[in-house]
Amino acid sequence: MLSHLDRKLWRDLRRMKGQAFAVAMVMGCGLAMMIMARSLIFSLESTRREYYEANRFADVFVPLKRAPNSLAARIKEIPGVATVQPGISVQVTLDLPTLDEPASGMVRSLPDFTPPELNRLFLRTGRWLSPGSRGEILVGEAFAEANHLQPGDTIAMLLNGRRQEFKIAGIVLSPELIFESRPGAALPDSRTYGSFWMPYKELATAFDLYGAFNYLSLALEPGGSERSVIAALDLLLTTYGGRGAYGRADHPSHIRVSDEIRVLATMSIGFPVVFLSVAAFMINAVLSRLLTLQREQIAIMKAFGFANRQIVVHYLKFAFVIVAGGTALGGCGGVVLGHRLVMLYHHFFRFPELAFRADRTAFPLALLVCAAAATAGVYGAVRRAARIPPAEAMRPEPPANYRPAFVERTGITHLLSHTFRIAVRNLERRPMQALFTIAGLALATGILIVPNGFRDSVDHILDTQWDTIQRQDLSIGLVEPDSAEVRHLFRHLPGVVTVEPTRATFARIGFGHQRRQLGIQGIAPNGLHNRVLNERDHLIQVPPGCLVVSEKLAQALGARVGDELRVEILDGKRPVRNVRLVGLAGDFTGLTAYMDLPSLNRLLGEGDIISGANFRVDGAHRAEFLRALKGIPKVSWVAIKDSLRENFRQTTAASIGLIQKIYLVFAIVVAFGVVYNNARISLAERARELATLRVIGFSRREVGAVLVTELVVLALIAVPLGLLLGTGFAKAIIRAVNTETVRLPLVLTASNYAFAVMVVAIASTVSALLVLRMLHHLDLVSALKAPE
Amino acid sequence: MFRVRGLTKVYGTGAAEVRALSGVDLDLYASELVVLLGPSGSGKTTLLNNLGGLDVPTAGELQYRGQDLTAIDEAALTRYRRDTVGFVFQFYNLIPSLTARENVGLITEIARDPMPAEVALDMVNLGGRLDHFPAQLSGGEQQRVAIARAIAKRPEVLLCDEPTGALDVRTGIVVLEAIQRANRELGTLTVIITHNAIMADMADRVIHLSDGRVQHLRVNEQRAPASSLNW
Repeated sequence: MLSHLDRKLWRDLRRMKGQAFAVAMVMGCGLAMMIMARSLIFSLESTRREYYEANRFADVFVPLKRAPNSLAARIKEIPGVATVQPGISVQVTLDLPTLDEPASGMVRSLPDFTPPELNRLFLRTGRWLSPGSRGEILVGEAFAEANHLQPGDTIAMLLNGRRQEFKIAGIVLSPELIFESRPGAALPDSRTYGSFWMPYKELATAFDLYGAFNYLSLALEPGGSERSVIAALDLLLTTYGGRGAYGRADHPSHIRVSDEIRVLATMSIGFPVVFLSVAAFMINAVLSRLLTLQREQIAIMKAFGFANRQIVVHYLKFAFVIVAGGTALGGCGGVVLGHRLVMLYHHFFRFPELAFRADRTAFPLALLVCAAAATAGVYGAVRRAARIPPAEAMRPEPPANYRPAFVERTGITHLLSHTFRIAVRNLERRPMQALFTIAGLALATGILIVPNGFRDSVDHILDTQWDTIQRQDLSIGLVEPDSAEVRHLFRHLPGVVTVEPTRATFARIGFGHQRRQLGIQGIAPNGLHNRVLNERDHLIQVPPGCLVVSEKLAQALGARVGDELRVEILDGKRPVRNVRLVGLAGDFTGLTAYMDLPSLNRLLGEGDIISGANFRVDGAHRAEFLRALKGIPKVSWVAIKDSLRENFRQTTAASIGLIQKIYLVFAIVVAFGVVYNNARISLAERARELATLRVIGFSRREVGAVLVTELVVLALIAVPLGLLLGTGFAKAIIRAVNTETVRLPLVLTASNYAFAVMVVAIASTVSALLVLRMLHHLDLVSALKAPE
Repeated sequence: MFRVRGLTKVYGTGAAEVRALSGVDLDLYASELVVLLGPSGSGKTTLLNNLGGLDVPTAGELQYRGQDLTAIDEAALTRYRRDTVGFVFQFYNLIPSLTARENVGLITEIARDPMPAEVALDMVNLGGRLDHFPAQLSGGEQQRVAIARAIAKRPEVLLCDEPTGALDVRTGIVVLEAIQRANRELGTLTVIITHNAIMADMADRVIHLSDGRVQHLRVNEQRAPASSLNW
């Protein structure tokens, strides 16, 4: 049974349903984003954690050249180490009849008779390898899917230069490869790069590694120090060609999931804060108006003995009903959107099962955050109203005090129409209300900038940046670094227009206490293909003996141009040198360091050696060119620019595109909500005045002009502010979502700004039209009666 | 000027039906001052609203200078109000954000042949308070601004709904003097609604309304000046 006061509340709400709904929608948008992002974080984190636990994902990883299996026992002695799993990991070239270009992959060993202790696989279809079998192989799901491979199919690969055929036993997933891409490549291409597993004996024999290992994973004891284990490992393995141990935090697949979680975390805070602030402004405006209208009712309730507290609670309930509505809308929206986004993750991440899991703590949190926003929005107004002595409140409010507006005091009064004067004086008399509306409108304009900023920066990457940085059509990598002589071979391949050699090597680059493992690319001096550009897309020439690194790397290391970076090469003679940083590259994927090729070779202490090449190829001879490449056993992999770009378009760009659309819809909802709410409030507050104007002979249009003038003045102030604000939002958000794996440039175009202005203009026009329609129903006769 | 025959206004339907006017017959002539008397609920305000084009009757005939007010559309009614009718309300209904001069000026912007706002305000003896906002004026002063606003367009009809209802005697008389002066000097047909029988003395004709009908009609041989009234 509702109390009478609650019944009043209910009826008040019904009367103001349009505005209550507008506020609830804006709140709902903010909450939907928060619940979606938090639930996705929860889904990814919990799924990953369970996957890691169930399949015993290792804690520390180290690739090396070759070490005897007996060393594993010594490694196990290192304090803090619980389990050690030595194995073999090699790069191979594949021969797929369905592919024009060579494909490549990584083959890992599995213990011959027992299941692995760490990094256990998950069998999707087919069966495990039979103990002691030969000629059988397990294939990673991403590659199998991209190339339509099934258990029972055969696949040919070059093992140490010898072509061998294998029968696919099963399709598997590995906790080490939730995200999979070729080493050194930031973007995945599952069609031409895959992962495979074979019995140890067969793989080791093929690569002359029997009795030895070249890849080691280990699990730490609870409480074991990763740092000290890594230090001990690096020391121990230096003589065995250790390429530097790293923990989960530097594991390429782990980083990708963590980066995604970080982006979501930014999203789950930044945007909802903006939306909920707008909602707080709106709910304040709605309730202030209600309180003004109900001034006498409040007085009567007090005269009858209601306490201030009861009155405050009564009106807070009004706000909380809206909050509950907003939370319900936001909850449903968040869950629906979350489901859609989880589907997108299936393109990036390979889990045995990744389902949407709603973060249940997000709902009460959402309710709390919203209630706090609403309380912040209305508390002051409610308390002020409750404090008026009843006798004073029962008298009708005296005519409001006005004075000439600021613009009139400049002496141009005679130029202004009466309608304009009414509008500006009204705005100036209630500066706080005007300020709140301006703030709401400016925020609405601002959040319109961000989603299209995302879209423009992805377009910029796809259309411009890609082609300005990489002017080659495709790149290849060699199985082993080779003498520069192979260039002649490459030059004479069919359809080659230009070819430039490249040299890549793994290194650890450090500055201060920070360090990262990454590839150093040697680029041809005065090269035309793979160029290094700064963030403004200006060409950087890399001087001999100096280093240019991704801007993000410099940021991660805390280094600046002019600093000396410590470079430890992890290949060959493993030289360690200090190299001066001379420039920052504005590249958009991964972390890379660039040197000129002869300097890199000098640093490596090797002669004129190359590890790959970049080609421009005549389009007409492309298929011929690729077939020819397939016949060169030295070629390990091929990266075709267009297919990488297409891949990026379908994955990263698609996910950003979806988020962009969601944001855009939300931003439009806010723009409409704010403008509509404001126009409704003006209409309600001034019904009497407007009706009087109608009675004394003004037409609807003329009366509407008063309201519209007010809206236009507010919009003219708010929109430029909003554009500035939006620029700031876009900068902050792009900076926050830029990770070491993928980065977006900040691209703000005139059309983006124009779109924001247009949406606000349309929202304003439609809201104004809706409100003007209500002028039709203005009760002229009631305006002549006593003021309410 | 007005020819009213069988004027009927019904609000609501069925059980909720309220008959505000049930067959009013009435003629109103140019330049006269008419006082409409009657208890509350007698239909005074409804009649006035119908005369002023704020409301349309349910049945009956309502002509202004031969034009049928029941047959014209919303836009024509707005034009009628704008060009012909001046309203004075019990609660003044001034625009709070405009000064006295601007409240009157508002009308002179849209009227066909207005007098300057200053002249209208002079007629109600407010020449000295031109630039005051409503909040800075007393109730009587606000009502006189409302009268100035109503007469500035030189209306042919001035309709006043309880113009002194919210005022004390002295202030009320000042307001009535202003109305009487406008009637005399501009020759405007003036209709005043009141339930104060004393005000009847200042009228040319007094119409008693009860239960939505004209009960009786009295013609005053001599109009008393507003200043002589007391209640």
